[in-house]
This record gives sequence, structure tokens and C-alpha cells, in this order.
Amino acid sequence: MGQILNALRSIALPALAAAALGTAVQGRAADEAAAPTRSAGRHDFSIQIDTAWNVPSSPFSAWVEGGLGKLRYDESDRGLNAARIFVDYRARLKPGLTARIVADHVGDGGADADGVDVGEAYLEWRPVPTSANRHRLRTGAFYPPLSLENGGPGWSSPFGVSFSAINTWLGEEIRPIGVEWSMRRRTRLGSPQEIGVFAAGFYGNDPAGTLLFWRGWSLHDRQTRLHDRLPMPPLPLWSDGAIVGHEEQWLEPFDEIDGKPGGYAGVEWRYGRRALVQLSRYDNRADPYAFSGGQWGWHTRFNHLSAQLALPRGFGLIAQWLDGSTDWLTATTPDGRHTPFTEHVEDTLEAKYVMLTRLVRDAHRVSLRYDGFEVRRDEAPPQLVADSGRAWTLAYRYERPALFDVTVEWQQIGSRRDLWPFLYGAQPRARERILSVGVVLRLDSSRLR
Amino acid sequence: MLLGALPALACADIAVTVLDADGAPVGDVAVYAVPRTTAATGSAGPAAAVMDQADSAFVPHLLVVEAGTYIEFPNNDTVSHHVYSFSDAKRFELPLYKGNLHPPLRFDTPGVVVLGCNIHDGMLGYILVVDTPWFTVTNAAGEARLPALPDGDYAVHVWTPRARAGDLPRPRQTNVSDGSARELRFRFEGKLMPAHEDRHGRSTLTWDRY
Ligand SMILES: [Cu+2]
Repeated sequence: MGQILNALRSIALPALAAAALGTAVQGRAADEAAAPTRSAGRHDFSIQIDTAWNVPSSPFSAWVEGGLGKLRYDESDRGLNAARIFVDYRARLKPGLTARIVADHVGDGGADADGVDVGEAYLEWRPVPTSANRHRLRTGAFYPPLSLENGGPGWSSPFGVSFSAINTWLGEEIRPIGVEWSMRRRTRLGSPQEIGVFAAGFYGNDPAGTLLFWRGWSLHDRQTRLHDRLPMPPLPLWSDGAIVGHEEQWLEPFDEIDGKPGGYAGVEWRYGRRALVQLSRYDNRADPYAFSGGQWGWHTRFNHLSAQLALPRGFGLIAQWLDGSTDWLTATTPDGRHTPFTEHVEDTLEAKYVMLTRLVRDAHRVSLRYDGFEVRRDEAPPQLVADSGRAWTLAYRYERPALFDVTVEWQQIGSRRDLWPFLYGAQPRARERILSVGVVLRLDSSRLR
Repeated sequence: MLLGALPALACADIAVTVLDADGAPVGDVAVYAVPRTTAATGSAGPAAAVMDQADSAFVPHLLVVEAGTYIEFPNNDTVSHHVYSFSDAKRFELPLYKGNLHPPLRFDTPGVVVLGCNIHDGMLGYILVVDTPWFTVTNAAGEARLPALPDGDYAVHVWTPRARAGDLPRPRQTNVSDGSARELRFRFEGKLMPAHEDRHGRSTLTWDRY
């Protein structure tokens, strides 16, 4: 509980700042109300406290402590944990212009994790449409619009405690810092069919892929904040500081390494609130030969296909599929010899999930998710499996919107990692399980008026 | 009641039933009668109308008004809306508001006005501005009644955003006289698009990210 109190204390400052800003905006709104043809400034926020009682079972220690585990928690964390406290704040600065900031406290995942940092921060401009085309422009640090699972405030999931492997990774290593344009339109007047396109250019995210290779895919709910320095698995080769230029084993996934922008783009089709299909391409365009600030560039790119379908009787189906690769310079050779970072390799990244969910009487939700994931090297037979596995996740959630929810989630992850005996002296196969009872308390501005 | 009070004025109802291509009733269809003889006028001028916003939806989803009507757009939600239209019949914008911030707007040009919200992508509403005081909207049984039309010739039209323009039934000519009610039946030729689903209640999946 001390952890929770600490977290509350550290969230108090941004919350106060947000409230002060809110008061200022409201004050202005009152002035404007006197001139009724003018608009009202407004602010919206959601404050959320995520705690969970966890019973993990894993042969490894948690990755957030520099371990090899796919889980956020290991057996030493059994019991109550404060997962996250955050404020998701939106200021409507002018009609069509919104500032959004997610200020986040998480208690784990690196030496300087004990504070408040920003997860997303951007300005969004939506000009009032002058035709059927609805344009939107965002600039700042934000998630690409890929996840169909993280639609809640602060990129939280309404479905369960942990995220799918794909979205866990987006939360860990992907946070473009740049400009995104998107457009949506109905295909014709009255039609439920809409088409959308989006495209972005961004800096940062050059080391993305590092954690995915060295640790493998993971499934949890910890999102990396903009300035987080994540711990890395205890790679023996890295104990020689000369190779990587520093002695610590860490990752700052959103750093810019080569000064070259990356980009993403996609198309979307919707049919009312019944169906959605999206196809996109992401490429950080990082130079794998570039080294800066203690980190290498990893050229990570992927295609992403996602779809969701509303079914009768409160059922819904969601699926995402990610297929990509990462180019990087390795210092390891299969016989374990120690070489400089000169060998250019390409690894394939692939993950998918399918989730069936059902919402009953607007309060009870049951979700079942299957995840499959892989990191492998195809180029030099025999194929090298850096990580290959599957996971089943079953969650029940009782939810009172904008107040609280309680989730009971059971998860089992099975994986195989051929490299691990020689990299870490660890067993190549592992089964990890976790039972979580998550309790989320929420204060939503829409409830205050 | 009107008939009782004014026995000398000759008038009658037009009852309308609207069916889809399969013969099932269609609700929420605008029905209006345009007089073909100038004699058949005599409304006291258009009344005021209200397009409410509740639960992040336009209420009603389809509002029919006579040209010249002033429409209010009160926002009864706890969240702000930013209502706009880019339709030729009425281009306007009511920036970011709650409650009754903006004065009513006058809708003069007959035609379809599509309403959107610049904050909530899923919000969609329609105003049909017609050049007649005799209009209504069908109920769930596909039925509507235009009451107490003065004697004369009328063209009766139906309209819904769910029909493609080519699939709208043609206007029907009818004559009201001798106080006898007319019954008209309209049928859509093509398949109708599904009704717009407003965001009432919670949805199983997330369609608009937080
Ligand atoms: Cu709105």
C-alpha cells in the first residue's frame, strides 16, 4: 500500500496542474457565455487508479526487473501491486483544437520509474468539415491508430487486465513523435459505410525491436512513458561495456538515433458500428549502422491488418495481425563467440490474436483471447527461433462506467526460445501463468456535472 | 377537434403507409404534402422546432420543418458538442457548447441538412426542410397521418436518408375534397440502408477511441 500512497502523491502535481488549467479554461468560458454567440472552452479528464492482486507463476523473474519473463510480475510480486495511476486530460482550446496529455505513474520498470511521466501528448486539430471529408491533424507524441483493444482512457483496455502481444509491444516500443493526418468520410449520404485514410511522419522509435528480440514478446499492461529507461535482460555479452559504449543494460525505445524520419500509413473501412477493417504499414526507417547515445538503430517495419465485428446478443470479435521484420547489427555468433557489432541480420516479427468478447446487461463482460507470436531468423537455415509461443487469456469484468471495474483474469503463456541456453544459460521452453484480480477506480469529468 | 370547432372549413386527412421492398413497414420516414393549388395555404407560419442532443445523439434523428422555421439546438449532455452542417440547404457551425448557448437558427431553403458533431464522429442527424406546413414522420408501424388538409390537390412525398436517391418512391398526386380521408401506400424499390445506430448505452466493441 505504501507504493500506492507514493504514487498518489506523485500524481497529485499533474492533477493539480490539470485542475488549474481547467479552472482557467472554465473562467474564460464564463466570460464567453456573456456573449452567447461565442463558443465555450472546455476540458475533460479521466483519472484512473489501477491496482491488481496477482498470483504469477514463472521460471523467470519479471522483465520489468531485467528478467526474462513475459509477465510484468514474477513470483516475488505475489500480492497487491499498484499497476498504474494516470490522468488523461483534454483541453478544448478552441473549436476544433484540442490538447491531450496522458500523465502516468507506474511503479516498476527501471530505476527512475518512480515518478510521473507523459505517455502521450499532442495537439489535435479538426477543422469543421466543408464537405463529406472529415480531416484530422495531430502533432506531438501519440500512438499510431492501430490497436482495436486499447480504446479506453490512457490507452487502457476495456476487455481485461493484460493486452495482446501485439498491443503490449506497441505500448512498450512504439510511440511516434511527429505529425499525423487522417481523413474519414461516408461513401454517400445516409450510408453507414465509411472509408478512412491516415498517414504520418515521425521521429524517434529507432531502437524499437530491441526488446522484442532480446526478451521476446510479452503480455501485460505496462506502457512505456516517453522518458522511461527500460531494463534489458542480463545478456552476458554486454557485460563488456566497450561493445555498446556503456555498462548498463537498458533501452530508451523512443530515441532518435540516425536523424532520419520514419512513417506509417493505412486505410480503413467501416460499416456503422458493425464492422471495421484496417490495413496499414509502419516503418521506422532506422539505420541499423547508426549508433547514438548508447543505442543502435533497429530498422523495424511491419504490415498490420485488423478487423472487428459486432455480432448479435452482445458478442463481438476482434483480430489483429502483425507481420514484419527488423534489421540490426548483432555481436553474437551462433557458436557463442564474441564479435563486434558488425553482423547485419534480419529477423522476422510476427504476432496475431483473436478475441471473442461478450457484454451482458451493460455491466458484465467476458473475453477470451488467443495470442500467437514469433521472432525468428529465416535467412540462415536451420531456422533460428528467438521466440515462439502462444497464450490463452480469459477475463471476466464487472464494470460501472466512469466509476470502477473489477476484473478477474487468468492467463497462460507457453513459449520456446532456442537461443536462450547459450545467451542466458536459461531453459529454452517455459510455461508462465498468472491469475490477476484487477481493481480500477475511475474519476471521470463527465460525472462531475 | 379542429373539425368540430370549424365545421365550415372543408378539410380531410391523408393517411400514409410506407413499406420497404419486402413489404415490411418503415418507420422514421418523412411524409409531406405540397399543395398544387395556391388556395391551399393558410398556416399561421412556421413554428419553432428543437433538435436536441442527448446521450451523444441527435434527437430526433430526423427532424422535418417548414422553410422559415427557427430551430434550437440545445445540448443536454454533460459533454460538449460542436454541431455543424456542410449541406447546401444550410451551412452552419455551433462551436463547442453545452446547454442553450446558441440562439435558434432559421432554416429557409428547402432541402436536406446533414448534421454532424466535430467532436463525436458517430453523431449523425438530419433536418429536412420542406416548402409546406403539412408534414410528419412515420411511426414504427410505417404509418403517418397528415391531419386536416384543406380541400385541394397535393403532391405527397416521402423521404428517408436510408434510401438511395433513385430508390425514393415518386411523389403521389392526390385530391382532398368532401372531407373524406385519403389513404396512400408507398413502397421503396431498392434495399434500404440500415438505420443509423446511435450510441445509446454501451457497446461491446470500441468504435471511437477515447
Ligand atoms: Cu458531440
